[in-house]
Amino acid sequence: MYIKEIKDMIHLMNENNLAELEIEKDGLKIRLKKSSGTGFEKTIEFVPATSGHHGAHQAQASEVPAKTAQAAEKKNVLEIKAPMVGTFYRAPSPETPSYVNIGDQIEPGQIICIIEAMKLMNEIKAEVKGKIIDIQVDNGEPIEFGQVLFVIEPA
Amino acid sequence: MFSKILIANRGEVALRIIRACKELGIRTVAVYSQADISSLHVKLADEAICIGSAASSSSYLNIPSIISAAEITDVEAIHPGYGFLAEDAHFAEICESCKIKFIGPTPENIRLMGDKMVAKETARKAGLPVIPGSRAIVKTKEEAMKIAKEMKYPVIVKAAAGGGGKGMRICHNDVRLIGALLTAQREAESAFGNPDVYIEKYIEKPRHIEFQILGDKFGHVIHLGERDCTIQRRHQKLIEETPSPALDHKLRKKMGECAAKCAKTIGYVNAGTIEFLLDKDNSFYFMEMNTRIQVEHPITEAVTGLDLVKEQIRIAFGEKLRFKQDDIRFSGSAIECRINAEDPDNDFLPSPGKVATLNLPGGPGVRMDTHVYQGYEISPYYDSMIGKLICHGRDRLEAIAICKRALDEIIIEPIKTTVPFHKRVMNDTSFIRGRFSTDFVESLFGKTE
Repeated sequence: MYIKEIKDMIHLMNENNLAELEIEKDGLKIRLKKSSGTGFEKTIEFVPATSGHHGAHQAQASEVPAKTAQAAEKKNVLEIKAPMVGTFYRAPSPETPSYVNIGDQIEPGQIICIIEAMKLMNEIKAEVKGKIIDIQVDNGEPIEFGQVLFVIEPA
Repeated sequence: MFSKILIANRGEVALRIIRACKELGIRTVAVYSQADISSLHVKLADEAICIGSAASSSSYLNIPSIISAAEITDVEAIHPGYGFLAEDAHFAEICESCKIKFIGPTPENIRLMGDKMVAKETARKAGLPVIPGSRAIVKTKEEAMKIAKEMKYPVIVKAAAGGGGKGMRICHNDVRLIGALLTAQREAESAFGNPDVYIEKYIEKPRHIEFQILGDKFGHVIHLGERDCTIQRRHQKLIEETPSPALDHKLRKKMGECAAKCAKTIGYVNAGTIEFLLDKDNSFYFMEMNTRIQVEHPITEAVTGLDLVKEQIRIAFGEKLRFKQDDIRFSGSAIECRINAEDPDNDFLPSPGKVATLNLPGGPGVRMDTHVYQGYEISPYYDSMIGKLICHGRDRLEAIAICKRALDEIIIEPIKTTVPFHKRVMNDTSFIRGRFSTDFVESLFGKTE
């Protein structure tokens, strides 16, 4: 993914009046963000898929429209946030299926994901009952404290 | 050189470290609590990770969170700043075991000197004069009263695990001592996670003189001169200066050599500070060693022309010290005024809030280290220090004149700050004459503790 592709991305953004565009392909993630003029923001970041940035959980104008912060503004949804810093995993191992998927009903006490920190796998349990309507982080993505992981419609 | 460093701290020191890293071409990772999301160090770092909620125990003291953040950002080293985990030997060890360089002394150095009681014993064995005190942690009021009776009042109760004036109480009698023991233990627990306290004889009206040490991994240790930190309130430093008006060339050389010898004896690595008390008769006593970079390091930087944080990073990377003791030259006089968000007219009550109007001073000889910007909200969760004004002149009188002039330029509104207090000090005759001891602030306000 190089200069031509980046130019295409910039063209795409301008054509469609986008402020931010993120594309992930072959283990490389590129986010382009238009500067809002404060001088504190960078316009282009190359982010290898395993690193973390504090902006990672902000609204992304990517191919999956469901991944926006607007979900929280809808009535009757709950956000499950990361209680710790680490790496997010959907399943106990690469071979086993994910603990939960979008559309699943979850119960309090049910393990919904793993957050790995300092070589320890921490099983994260749901504290609410409801249906998963969105999963906001990818498998293997680094996450920070307070980052939204799941969006639940409480039952 | 390191390619990426995580700064395990906040506020002005986080900014300080980021500045040194940037100049060395090192990428920076900031960690922050939810209360610090708008903090300047978060904005200026290359990457930033939220590590917990506002409480220090959940964030800046949260070792798993910080190490986890270091792992996911793949840093090579962590700079702990001052306070928080800077003198936590356990944290330094965890960094080592996770193959992350801790930018500071070794865990052994920290254990030996970080525990104030063990430090004193170590200094005593190294031949330094020390202050009489309890030889062990004091847990009960009965023990405390017994020790105080032997040493004779006044005594001071101090936290074994920390400094910065926290967990410290001066007592003149048994009644005060009992109350002080409990509050000091509580304060120490809150600030350092360790309630252990000990008792020392309180030397009245001393001067507080500390020496900056730098040591590399090859056993070379030098000192970078002294800092006079006598102007304190409740054992928290407010103004620091170098050189000290109380030292002549001979005494400076003697104390400096003592400090370097003590550090060398224990194989001290990286930056550290040895604190002495100087009494009226110019006898000096080892008080403690701070195994970290200190708040007031900029005044040493001003007179030596060195960047201490960069030296810390170089030493941690494994480089040899680039200078010998004889290479160190001192030029002029430097004074630092700590600007706190406190109301000096109201017993220094903390004054958090939004900084709606900010003007920082400039001009020759002025350095202002602050993380505050116009519109920034100073939260009530952390230290009240919001900035440091460092003035460097050719001599002490010029440094004072620059300070006065710079203090007049500072606008931080509408919150209350200690700027008016500093102006008072700069105009005070005893201060200008250089003749004062640690009761200076009390006497300025006409109160007694």
